[in-house]
Amino acid sequence: MASEHELVLYAAGPASAERAAQAAIADVQRIERKYTRYRDDSVTATINRAAGGDAIAIDAETLALLRYADRCHRISAGRFDITSGVLRRAWDFRREPPRVPTRDEIDAARALIGWERVEWSERDVRLPQAGMELDFGGIGKEYAADRAAAILRDHGIAHALVNLGGDVRALGARPDGAPWRIGIRDPRDADATIATVALVDDAIATSGDYARYVEVDGRRYCHILDATTGMPVTHFQSVSVVAPLAVLAGSYATIAMLLGASARAFLDAQALRYWTVDADGTLVSA
Amino acid sequence: MAATDATSDACERSAALVAAALALPGILPIAAHAQAPGEGVVALRYYDYRDWQPGVDRMSVRSPSLYALAPLSDPLSVQGSLVYDSVSGASPLYHDTVSGASGRGIGDYRTAGDVKVTKSFGDSALAVGAAYSHEQDYISRAASIEWRRSSADRNRTYVVGFGAAKDRIDAPEGVNGAVLDRPRETYDYLLGMTQVLRADAVVETSVTWSDGHGYYSDPYKLLDARPDHRRIFTWLTRYNQYFAGPDATLRLAYRHLRDSFGDRSHMLEATWVQGLPGGFTVAPTLRYLTQSAADFYRDPPFPQGFVPGDLHTADARLSAFGAWTLGVRVAKAFAGGVTADVAINVYRQRGDWRAGGAGSPGLAELSARWIEFGLEKRF
Repeated sequence: MASEHELVLYAAGPASAERAAQAAIADVQRIERKYTRYRDDSVTATINRAAGGDAIAIDAETLALLRYADRCHRISAGRFDITSGVLRRAWDFRREPPRVPTRDEIDAARALIGWERVEWSERDVRLPQAGMELDFGGIGKEYAADRAAAILRDHGIAHALVNLGGDVRALGARPDGAPWRIGIRDPRDADATIATVALVDDAIATSGDYARYVEVDGRRYCHILDATTGMPVTHFQSVSVVAPLAVLAGSYATIAMLLGASARAFLDAQALRYWTVDADGTLVSA
Repeated sequence: MAATDATSDACERSAALVAAALALPGILPIAAHAQAPGEGVVALRYYDYRDWQPGVDRMSVRSPSLYALAPLSDPLSVQGSLVYDSVSGASPLYHDTVSGASGRGIGDYRTAGDVKVTKSFGDSALAVGAAYSHEQDYISRAASIEWRRSSADRNRTYVVGFGAAKDRIDAPEGVNGAVLDRPRETYDYLLGMTQVLRADAVVETSVTWSDGHGYYSDPYKLLDARPDHRRIFTWLTRYNQYFAGPDATLRLAYRHLRDSFGDRSHMLEATWVQGLPGGFTVAPTLRYLTQSAADFYRDPPFPQGFVPGDLHTADARLSAFGAWTLGVRVAKAFAGGVTADVAINVYRQRGDWRAGGAGSPGLAELSARWIEFGLEKRF
């Protein structure tokens, strides 16, 4: 989770604030360590190393995350797929000079995608093909935000804001009773906002084409990749969604980015508050 | 209507997504044992118990109680309860064949209260409790200390507990002679573990060892002489499984108890908690208990087998029997954190219902029923 995190909370005194904050931060760090791809001893790395080989035993938390990822996969008709991280092998957004991968490179990576092929049960999970990878990046950060909020609440905190890299979960309202006010970043101007959202208890998450991308021949290729095509999404610059949990807000925002033209109908059907910025910069909110 | 189908399909899948999100551990306070309560609770309960044997009404107990929990500062909470029982009817019976001998009627009351202070330290919680109970002929003072620790993901909780009770029995009108200021001391040791198996299943297991010395006989039962030392071992396991389809929870429990009186008992219980529209839940329960008799229990006719100076009891509660309890609880949640519930249980105990051995012969079956009303408000 190499992004900026922020925790705002109101407590009876500095000692209780410190205790609550430490407990919440410790849990965020625990989830980070457990599910990061960047540590050899993480659950993710262990499962990925065993791809094509043995099944790896999982605990209840990992099972719950797999179940959740499975629901995301179904609801997005396969576009949201936690095995799609291998597309990074084709799409290297840090490469200089930037370039668009060839069809063959993309197809080679796509051959390793397929949540429906993953063998998982209540006890273990197995990636059937060497080279396949799981990546909880699209869920873990938001899950951590929800857990942090729950831990703060369990410490008696009634007013808090957890911001993990732009995914924001509110606990209660501000201490004066007014809603928290969250700005939505302008996808083309890091210092400007396009809307202000009033939040009480809910969460807001934004999925945008500006976090990581390459520009080639005047076209932007962003890091949100459709697992079914292997190609970056182009319909929206950003989608922000308010939902009761950060994990839901995050998945709805990402799935909306992936659905493109049908996204607003999808979000309308869920009766969610959302803000979309089309490719041409048009803001639509509901 | 393809569009409508697609929309309803999307809604259904979205509901499944929301359900999966809520099932993520630690998002909802399900494994909340070691977590400081963030809200207060006040509950009022009323309990009405009555038991009888064919043709004879025995005991009845009416008992209103009050329970309150208040978070003091953020990691500290205090909870307490007060109960007042009024007991009337015949003394807890032994052989119905000598019902005349148990004619010393009881018209007693009991006031009892307890208080427990819990302090949370991150994943751990320490609780210190005290309890006091007072009847005409009986005073009990107890203290307990309990430590819980949850794993970082809160899927597993360990608990270690210790309790001590000092009782005093003072029954100057005891049928075997006056029992004056006789003490009893009990020490309880508890070791337990709760494990979240899956998002929808939890198992809990605990063992309790109780070691007591002092006066155990019943001062109102003729020729009742029990050991002055009682050790009890109890193993309790519960399993809760939630079923999303019917929105219901199955609760299973098994308890094994063996003590130095010679009692061995097994209890099995199953409860189905069904959520219904409108904030209702209905929970039918079935419980079976089977136990062997204490070593010094003597079957009727009373006082068969009595040898002066030896241990002896004719208390039906220490006989060998099987018993079934059938109950149902209906609860309704209202807006504003108010829950009301009503429960009725019927109980029947018979010697020949004992499993895996003969029951004590010659005892009439014992029946009981109890009704509870409860009203709870959360703040």
